[in-house]
Amino acid sequence: MSVGFIGAGQLAHALVKGFTAAGVIATQRITASSPDSELPTVSGLRKMGVNLTTSNKEVVNKSDVLFLAVKPHIIPFVLDEIGPDIEDRHLIVSCAAGVTISSIEKKLLQYRDAPKVMRCMTNTPVVVREGATVYATGTHAELEDSKLLEQLMSSVGFCTEVEEDLIDAVTGLSGSGPAYAFTALDALADGGVKMGLPRRLAVRLGAQALLGAAKMLLDSEQHPGQLKDNVCSPGGATIHALHVMESGGFRSLLINAVEASCIRTRELQYLADQERISPAAIKKTTLDKVLQQPGVTVSGVANGSGRSGLSLFNNHGSNIKKKKN
Amino acid sequence: MDPEMDSQLKIGFIGAGNMAFGIAKGILSGNVLPVNVKVSAPSSRNLGRFQELGIAVTHSNIEVVCGSDVVFVAVKPHLVPLVLNEISLHVTDRHIIVSVAAGVTLATLEELLPENSVAIRLMPNLPCLVQEGALLFARGSHAKQEDGALLRSLLHRCGLVEEGPEAWIDIHTGLSGSGVAFVYLFAEALAEGAVKMGMPSALAHSIASQTVLGAGKLLRESGKHPAQLRSEVCTPGGTTIYGLHTLEQGGLRAATMSAVESATERARELGRKSAAGSRK
Repeated sequence: MSVGFIGAGQLAHALVKGFTAAGVIATQRITASSPDSELPTVSGLRKMGVNLTTSNKEVVNKSDVLFLAVKPHIIPFVLDEIGPDIEDRHLIVSCAAGVTISSIEKKLLQYRDAPKVMRCMTNTPVVVREGATVYATGTHAELEDSKLLEQLMSSVGFCTEVEEDLIDAVTGLSGSGPAYAFTALDALADGGVKMGLPRRLAVRLGAQALLGAAKMLLDSEQHPGQLKDNVCSPGGATIHALHVMESGGFRSLLINAVEASCIRTRELQYLADQERISPAAIKKTTLDKVLQQPGVTVSGVANGSGRSGLSLFNNHGSNIKKKKN
Repeated sequence: MDPEMDSQLKIGFIGAGNMAFGIAKGILSGNVLPVNVKVSAPSSRNLGRFQELGIAVTHSNIEVVCGSDVVFVAVKPHLVPLVLNEISLHVTDRHIIVSVAAGVTLATLEELLPENSVAIRLMPNLPCLVQEGALLFARGSHAKQEDGALLRSLLHRCGLVEEGPEAWIDIHTGLSGSGVAFVYLFAEALAEGAVKMGMPSALAHSIASQTVLGAGKLLRESGKHPAQLRSEVCTPGGTTIYGLHTLEQGGLRAATMSAVESATERARELGRKSAAGSRK
């Protein structure tokens, strides 16, 4: 089995690192594409022995499982480009936040009767094989496809299937989650430094404390509230600290954060569905490089409803038939 | 505790207020016979409800002490020194003196009573009146384990009875003595929320009180951590989690912790003041 990555950024790099550490796949069987060969993640992948190319088509041809690891607004360009090259064997796994299975299937159905599409939301700790991944299955994906993806993603952490409508909430919680943790750790380290610890030690201890606590919770049947109680001796240091945290609205802040991330994900998805992202919103260098690929065109100006700007999920109709020939 | 011994035991109350009444009711639902209970108060105002239970009443504190094995001193804190001075000569080392006066320390009690007196400090709370109290007691220097056990068996129908070091009594005051009022505040606010949303007030209050009662009962009987029970009520994306989020944003947890803290601090302060006062 071969695995391909369209996009060779943080996510692709993290997944490859995790997969190879887990030994589920040899790097020679992995191909990744990127328009920018100068990216640090690209060199990182090259060093690991991954086959790199600037051609998305090459990735498609050399893979069975194809991860779409580009930014959400690039997805439609990619799908248009690789659509004609998709075969029956291909399993397309989109990792793009906010991009729905139906929008991907709609695009690919122009080229293929039954494109096998899955959508996953993972997170960066896959790089150390402690990722949190959920996936949803598309219309034409089979049970074996689910099993395959689950096998791959379980090698780099926790993986489970969900209904697609939960993926935005997952994004808010575990997708963004590592960032919440990094922020917390930075601040905890500051606290340690303020009270006299050297920075490096403070960071190490803070990280270990959170790691240990998370492990305890995962290993335990107990509610986190109970585990918290177990740490708080009466009148002791910890309960004093907790009171300070409660007074600062710690809990509601975290609830708000997860909510904000989830809502923003939905917003982005909505914007994409509206087919209304201006070219200026797409990072200029990336767009240029993408447009330099043979066979990629920007669709015309106005569509039926008179909207201008790049149309992301537009039916190119006759253009496509010409390209195929 | 030996039920036969219980039925021989003579219990006295100095003071006929709510606390005394609640405790008396609890004691009587055990094995103590009403004929073995006596209560004293300066006026007859509060004595009627005791008489209805078959309890003998008097205006003489000394009569209560002489006729009892266990004496509950249930007068207002500032009256305790007065009362103890009055009865002191009649207190023997077979008596168990149980004070329910807030802020009056064991040291103060033992100072006012004869040497070697058995003194126990008890902090009940208002729901003793309906036999659902939370009671914490601390033994004085000459109160033995058996004295504590006797008190525990007398009180067990008043509600939850626990023993602890004297230092915990102020905390218990903040948590459970005052805590009852915190719950009333919460119940009132629940009802007002419902009224705001369109429910008639009387119904809202009735439902609010039942909600508090029911939740409390479930909490006690399930043996589960409240966090666990809370999680069990919250369906994903449901009404409860939305409401809880609003409560968290309102800082309810921190405010509640602080409330217990304030009440406890105040109990400690009052304890220090009364100890200073009684040394005059």
